[in-house]
Amino acid sequence: MTKRTLYSLALLLIAGLVLAACGSSKKTNSSSTAASGPGKGKPAVTLGTKNFPEEFILGQLYKQALEAKGFTVNLKNNIGSTEVIDTALTSGKIDMYPEYTGTIVQEVEKSNTLPTSAAATYAQAKAFEEKRGFTLLAQTPFYDRDALATKPAYAQQHGLSAISDLKKAGAFSFGAPPESKTRYQGLVGLQKLYGLTGITFVPLTIGLQYQALDSGKIQVADVFTTDGQLLSGKYKVLDDDKGLYGFQNAVPVVKKSLVSSEGPAFTQTMNSVSALLTLPAIQKMNAAVVLDKQDPAAVAGQFLQANHLK
Amino acid sequence: MIAIAAGPVIPSFGGSAHSCVRANHFFCWGWFKSNWSGVFQPALLQHLKLTLIAVAVGFVLAFAAALVAYRFSWFETPFSLLSAFLYTVPSLALFQLLIPITSISTLTVEIALVSYTLLILFRNTLIGLRSVPDEVLEAARGMGLSRRQTLLRVELPLATPAIVAGIRIAAVTVIGLATVAAVVGLDKGLGSPIYKAIQIGPFKTELFAGAVLAIALAVVADASLAVVQRLLTPWTRK
Amino acid sequence: MDAKVIPAADIFTFVGDHPSLLWHSVLQTLGLFAAAFAIAVAVALPLAIWLGHLHRGSFLAINIGNIGRALPSLAVISILLALVGIGFLNVVVALALLAIPVIVTNTYVAVDGVDRDVVEAARGIGMTPRQLLARVELPLALPLIFAGLRTAAVIVMATTPLAAVAGGSGLGQIIVNQPSYGLDGVIAASLFITALSFIAELGFAGLQRVLTPRGLRQTEKVPALGPALRT
Repeated sequence: MTKRTLYSLALLLIAGLVLAACGSSKKTNSSSTAASGPGKGKPAVTLGTKNFPEEFILGQLYKQALEAKGFTVNLKNNIGSTEVIDTALTSGKIDMYPEYTGTIVQEVEKSNTLPTSAAATYAQAKAFEEKRGFTLLAQTPFYDRDALATKPAYAQQHGLSAISDLKKAGAFSFGAPPESKTRYQGLVGLQKLYGLTGITFVPLTIGLQYQALDSGKIQVADVFTTDGQLLSGKYKVLDDDKGLYGFQNAVPVVKKSLVSSEGPAFTQTMNSVSALLTLPAIQKMNAAVVLDKQDPAAVAGQFLQANHLK
Repeated sequence: MIAIAAGPVIPSFGGSAHSCVRANHFFCWGWFKSNWSGVFQPALLQHLKLTLIAVAVGFVLAFAAALVAYRFSWFETPFSLLSAFLYTVPSLALFQLLIPITSISTLTVEIALVSYTLLILFRNTLIGLRSVPDEVLEAARGMGLSRRQTLLRVELPLATPAIVAGIRIAAVTVIGLATVAAVVGLDKGLGSPIYKAIQIGPFKTELFAGAVLAIALAVVADASLAVVQRLLTPWTRK
Repeated sequence: MDAKVIPAADIFTFVGDHPSLLWHSVLQTLGLFAAAFAIAVAVALPLAIWLGHLHRGSFLAINIGNIGRALPSLAVISILLALVGIGFLNVVVALALLAIPVIVTNTYVAVDGVDRDVVEAARGIGMTPRQLLARVELPLALPLIFAGLRTAAVIVMATTPLAAVAGGSGLGQIIVNQPSYGLDGVIAASLFITALSFIAELGFAGLQRVLTPRGLRQTEKVPALGPALRT
């Protein structure tokens, strides 16, 4: 045998051994065996999440809390933006997902009215969903709005403390997820409500905007108010003085028929998780995932355990 | 543990991370090791499974189609055109087109991956079969072999190098394309840690680990199938 | 959404409604393509011609094609994103990296594989190595070199949509933005990319015909390395 054949055979052997070793260890679960509890025997729930870390955390929180009570949960993680996941919901591919009240009103319902309180936003969102065959469970204490952030030096240079001040800044590059281009709570609202005409739109996958800010590729970034990166103090968040981004408490959107078929313990479990999610809680969890690079499942698990929901 | 009055208990989530991770250095071996079994091993196995199914199904379909085209030559053009067209659709787009029909599921990923294998497997199998020299076919006929016997004992064995070469290319192609599935919401395979890493910064360690694993998987598959190709065709060795 | 069959009319409507968007996206895609392809050719072609002429480095030159084919596009784009950051440069380099292996392998095999008898004959009549390369080896190697260039062109063109994930511009930005542009937009942009890939393929085929000396034009041999890498 030539040296080359020997080498290739060795490669094949190594590959085979590696795969055998991998195959023999236990697979991690995506829907674990149910614990005992009120959920046992109930139909399985398919839970989806949108495409950013906070949603991954919310998904894990609800999934693990339900599983601790015996429910069976299939998690479909990182599905996409609001528009994409709403399609998944309405076409029956998922049964529920965590959404934000203001987003339901502005981007799903595409309402022309801007509710003026968190409670009013929730009520309007709920009324809309119930017409479609879905309902909202209890909303979280925390809210997570989109916001505009800049580097402190840029804000100081142009005297920026609120979004309206951006008019003074002239032309600037604005980094946001691609779908913001046609959203009212996105580029459209910034142009219409705030009258900002000098915007160069730079579409960026969610998560890359901070790097783009740091490197100077954009001057203004679309961020979430609960982002872990904002805790570092490296960015200045501009005040939404005209209330474009509304009220954005998180809320599970659930198929109405599922609520009845899963029983009262389902709603109770979901609500007890939501009640714990204060602003400091979600911010710390976001920081753990985004800054410390911890696994959302682990972070959610620790949180639930510390609060006796798991 | 930090207790907040009248609020939830917020644990410290495993303490502050290693400085390597916080500083987002190129590769934090500790993080990789502790996340191997939770993140990378499942992703690798999912990826392998996706690939094996796609290549197997694609092979069955393309092989059958090639046999039909070998026998009935009018079949070649329509099937070639169809598989060539499927091959050229950008993967991102194909996944998005399938999702409304087959939803966010492994089936969607598999349908897309299978359609990318059809062209190369079909073309190579057909070329392999057609490359059998006429004299050999004459000899087989002279020996009294039936059409089926000729196919099984003469034509297919001689077509093996081209067929295996096609499987090799198909496997590597599928491994590469399966990473794209995560970008459109199909959270399985090695594309999942790569995409998630992009979504937090990017997080270099997770990104490199996922990317390198995908590359390694493809290289190993390619090398292994190259060995298989050589073993199956001793008469082609120099 | 129950749109199982997208009527062709919707796609035309989209194109009709967004002419400047599509035009600008096409230009951006062509810009990415041109930059990446130019870099790939500048790096790969001279190196591979030189190695082929000297008949050196065959193991590397041939296997780099295999390695290159095995590089998942998303993996390369992501790695460059982490190393270089967001934007044009990172995407261009990633695309060039994906194209270089094919060009190297095809070019090397082409130049190295020129009929030895012909080479000997040329040397016999007193050609210098440079004359040999320019007047004998390169013309005879052209078909296979162009097969590599064509394959590389299709690779680069067809990978540009994926670059949108890492901040690349062009038609990919429509393809990843189904929320804004709808499925019609995604399909329309995909068809444009497909068309551009075909144009690239045909363009190089034409260029090959023009550049091949008349005496050497013959029916095309099946390229040894198979069809393009998918993206």
